[in-house]
Amino acid sequence: MAKLGIHDLAVRYGKLTAISDLSFTVAEGERLFISGPNGAGKSSLLGAISGAVRAAHGRIEMDGDILSGLGPERIARRGLSMVPEGRRIFGGLTVRENLMVGTGIRRDRAAVADDLETAFTAFPILRDRANAPAGALSGGQQQMLAIARALMTNPKVMLVDEPSLGLAPKVVDEVYDRLCSLQALRGLTLVIVEQSSTRAARVGGRMILMRGGRIVADGDAAGFAAADLLSEAYFGDPA
Amino acid sequence: MITQHRIRRRMAATTPVLLALLLLAFVALTLAFGDRAAGRMASETLIRVTLVVGFWIFAGNSGVISFGHAAFACVGAYVSAWTTLNPAMKATLLPGLPPALAEAHWHVLPAALTAGLVAAALALGTGAAILRLSGIAASIATFAFLAMVNTIWANWTPVTGGTSSVVGLARYVTPWVALGWAVAAILAASLYAASASGLALRATREDEVAASASGIDQYRHRLLAYTLSAFFCGVGGALAGHFIGVINPDGFYLSLTFLMLAMLVVGGIGSLSGAVVGVLAVSLAVEALVRLEKGFTLGATTFALPPGSQEIIIALAMILVLVFRPAGLMAGREIMLPARWVTGRGTSQN
Repeated sequence: MAKLGIHDLAVRYGKLTAISDLSFTVAEGERLFISGPNGAGKSSLLGAISGAVRAAHGRIEMDGDILSGLGPERIARRGLSMVPEGRRIFGGLTVRENLMVGTGIRRDRAAVADDLETAFTAFPILRDRANAPAGALSGGQQQMLAIARALMTNPKVMLVDEPSLGLAPKVVDEVYDRLCSLQALRGLTLVIVEQSSTRAARVGGRMILMRGGRIVADGDAAGFAAADLLSEAYFGDPA
Repeated sequence: MITQHRIRRRMAATTPVLLALLLLAFVALTLAFGDRAAGRMASETLIRVTLVVGFWIFAGNSGVISFGHAAFACVGAYVSAWTTLNPAMKATLLPGLPPALAEAHWHVLPAALTAGLVAAALALGTGAAILRLSGIAASIATFAFLAMVNTIWANWTPVTGGTSSVVGLARYVTPWVALGWAVAAILAASLYAASASGLALRATREDEVAASASGIDQYRHRLLAYTLSAFFCGVGGALAGHFIGVINPDGFYLSLTFLMLAMLVVGGIGSLSGAVVGVLAVSLAVEALVRLEKGFTLGATTFALPPGSQEIIIALAMILVLVFRPAGLMAGREIMLPARWVTGRGTSQN
């Protein structure tokens, strides 16, 4: 059974249609990139899955349970965590407090300490800066913190919106390195919005290409770089 | 080895203790060296600490400015009056009281606790509606709530006495009684701030979207803080009533709202220490200005500030703080012992 299922999803903002008739499934442990030009509906899609944006139509399921209609905090409790675009860390709180925020919903207190240790091991810089205000971290460090914070809710599925936004290529390498090793360690299912298809191809995984609120291609990320699909999606006539 | 984290926690635990000691020193010094008026100022200041620290539990952690907390003080003051006043007096002053209240003649301590509980219950009920709104809309709704409470209290004459004052409250509030409640409020505030709910609420203050993505139910934590916060404002109102002995609805309206806000802004809304320091700073400044308004004699001439300059100068001070030190005197920091004091002897500090 698919870990995550999206069926006939539509998202509208007033009269503007951001997503229509979108369907796909994600297998457990899979790494799925969502790519496409600005306005393709990538962030709306993640918003709809995480509950931040209300779907106009359609059904979203995780492990066969219906998520659509629940608020973001209830979806997070079900084990689906979101790393929002622009990181949105809690700047006035310390790094450690940022990490502890996500654990408020958990009952397994002992495991929280282990997870904090895991996060600090994966991102040693966070351990060094544990008592510093999170707003004082660099962009790359804030991205690491946002990922670590999402992990602290003990998710099964993690959505990451544009992790490379505004970061130097070398830092992006590091972010993806950590993300992939954490995925392997925790058996996570990852859905990542990534503008750069070459980046997605280099990291590896499946890729869905969106345009105008629809899926225009779905396949192995490495195959996309070679094909003309990308330029078609970015520059071709609207479907 | 003591970890950095343990050191931080120990340091944070010293904050309420140091704040309590600061207030204790304030009372002791005022009583030892001040006149009678200074003693009254000390009581008044500590009552305000209870009110403003109560206010901070909600406003400081949630980042939502409430204009409604003076209403909780109003309700608290009247609940304590209803339950403690001499029944014979209530029969003439407040003929509309239900029999249970009309005959009540309680001790002041259970009355103060009840005042807090009734204010908290009112907060739970009204907050359930108000706190679903986002930031600025919630603030405006609290203001509407304040206006409603004031109007009801001013017009429900058989029960509240209307705009005429209720007199004869037992004047039991000494600086020491007020100190006890102020310290209780500080302890509750620092326990709440250190709790999981306090952290969750501060996260929503920083970023609502990211907080809900972290599984935080903003509304629930806001409501909890609002209720706890109202408890101490209710108690503070009861203390204020029993300090002067006379209450009327306008004593708990716009000027109190402004004063509480000014104190929080001057001290800094970002920390508990800011709330306490703000009350002390503003109260001492007000006291100094009141004395200047009365005039002082220097040689053959008497100098006096024109009446009313006190309010203007406090408002100016608030504006100056907002301009030059927008985060307040404490700028979000807490008063705490330095790391080397809490690690103990012979412990390395790595």
